[in-house]
Amino acid sequence: MTKRTSLSEAVRSIPSGAHIGLSGFSITRCAMAFVREVIRLGIKNLTVSQCVGAMDTDMLVGAGAVDRLIYGGGSLDRFGLLANVNAGIETGTLLAEEYSSLSIAFRYLAGSLGLPFIPIRSLAGSDLLARIRERAGAEVAFVDDPFTKDRWLVLKPLVPDVSIMQVQTCDEEGNSWIMGPKWDSGEQVKASERTIVIAERVVPTELIRREPERCVIPNLLVSHVVELPYGAHPTSVYREYDYDADRIEGYVEATKSRDAFQAYLDAYVFGVKDHGEYLEKVGGMEKLESLRADPVLGY
Amino acid sequence: MDYTPSELMAVSGARELQDRQVVAVGVGLPMVASLLAKRTHAPNMAILFEIGVIDSEPIHTGVGLADPRVWYRAKYLSSFVDILGTLLHRGRVDVGFLGGLEVDRYGNLNTTLVGDPKGKFRHMVGSGGANDIASCARKTIYIMRHEERKLRETISFITSPGYIEGGESRAKAGLVGGPSRVITDKAIFGFHPVTKRMSILSVHPENTIEDVVATMGFEPHIPEQVPFTEPPRPDQLKLIREEIDPERMYIG
Repeated sequence: MTKRTSLSEAVRSIPSGAHIGLSGFSITRCAMAFVREVIRLGIKNLTVSQCVGAMDTDMLVGAGAVDRLIYGGGSLDRFGLLANVNAGIETGTLLAEEYSSLSIAFRYLAGSLGLPFIPIRSLAGSDLLARIRERAGAEVAFVDDPFTKDRWLVLKPLVPDVSIMQVQTCDEEGNSWIMGPKWDSGEQVKASERTIVIAERVVPTELIRREPERCVIPNLLVSHVVELPYGAHPTSVYREYDYDADRIEGYVEATKSRDAFQAYLDAYVFGVKDHGEYLEKVGGMEKLESLRADPVLGY
Repeated sequence: MDYTPSELMAVSGARELQDRQVVAVGVGLPMVASLLAKRTHAPNMAILFEIGVIDSEPIHTGVGLADPRVWYRAKYLSSFVDILGTLLHRGRVDVGFLGGLEVDRYGNLNTTLVGDPKGKFRHMVGSGGANDIASCARKTIYIMRHEERKLRETISFITSPGYIEGGESRAKAGLVGGPSRVITDKAIFGFHPVTKRMSILSVHPENTIEDVVATMGFEPHIPEQVPFTEPPRPDQLKLIREEIDPERMYIG
């Protein structure tokens, strides 16, 4: 059964107020075209979760679309901090629940397995835990190990309404390959109620069947498939294209003031009607070709 | 002196690592130090990056863990649950190796909230895998600049626990391991076995104990004998400059 649709249709399936999980890690495999469409369509009051906060989340927060963020910290690597997320935390406009990478990954893992909670050795003795207990007391607790009687910190499962997965390759049913390290993508997809796959290319199912061991998302978890080359621009997709350093630097510059960020959104989100126009605006084929990954290096 | 303080930090970090150890590494100087150790005395060491990478061999400098340059020629690419879960949380990581914004006298690390001169708190990067590594590794090494605002009497936020309030407080919180070294551009510190306060182990060449103490935010334990840190060897410097960080992104 084909689940192929347009980006706009897929995004319209998400109501304001939903909990979405995003696939980015810092400046790689971020759901950027998705985020731009969410902002264009005016979807708001979202809860976003992600192991390591990334550019997709930061842009959504900067556009005022996010009420609550559940994450493990993050940055834009050497390009800079998650300035919009940080500003939201500092001014109190964003409810941020901050964990560590593994705590969020374990919360997704518990969600993916249908477990009621998951014990973890991390967070003990930290102010991360102190803050989480103040703000979100119901999402962490202590229990005694019934076998050893040791006391354990346990975390509640994290179950997003929708996971938004930027992948390299999938078929029209949603069977997907993710190349390179997967950070929290596998657990996030499997924890989520459903997944929207955004792929660089959609291939025949016959090709998926020839190398099924590469498939990390089985189609039964997928509600929509969107084929969108360069959908992660300006972030990178391993073995497809490099990050666009100039454009990320431009973004970082724009996050330094509200006016500059609004101008950025006006130019790259509201000022273009769709992803095709966006790609033209950031330099078109000539620029995109220059970002193409070397097949040996993968970047 | 024919080397920079950063190069000495990287070499000192490498010296702390042993062959066959499993090391979970953060971006920056810890990465340079680990790659140097593996290229010299510790060829069978395993280098883990939290994003899901084991034993990559970068030939170009990356902007961070998210940069595929850092994953190049990896033996294994997987996930957080695999690296931080089945290896680190499972107890198979010997050394966690991290950079930090602020550390206090008990080796607690802050990468979350930093005060600015106006008295406001700025949110920085948070934990990522740092809290997991500091909580679960058998021991942890920190590498950071020697500045009063980074080596502080107290920190505003414990992102990653060291010895918490000293003494037995880390064990009481249910945590094993703990910080073993803090490597700065002026000195190398360890931790007192009982009080768990930071203690000077060696001072880098051309520095004095007085200067080391005067440029940090608290008085460390000072043993009777404090040797000079061993300087880098030419082969180590050549590797760092020509192969590990030729663009000087981390060495600066």
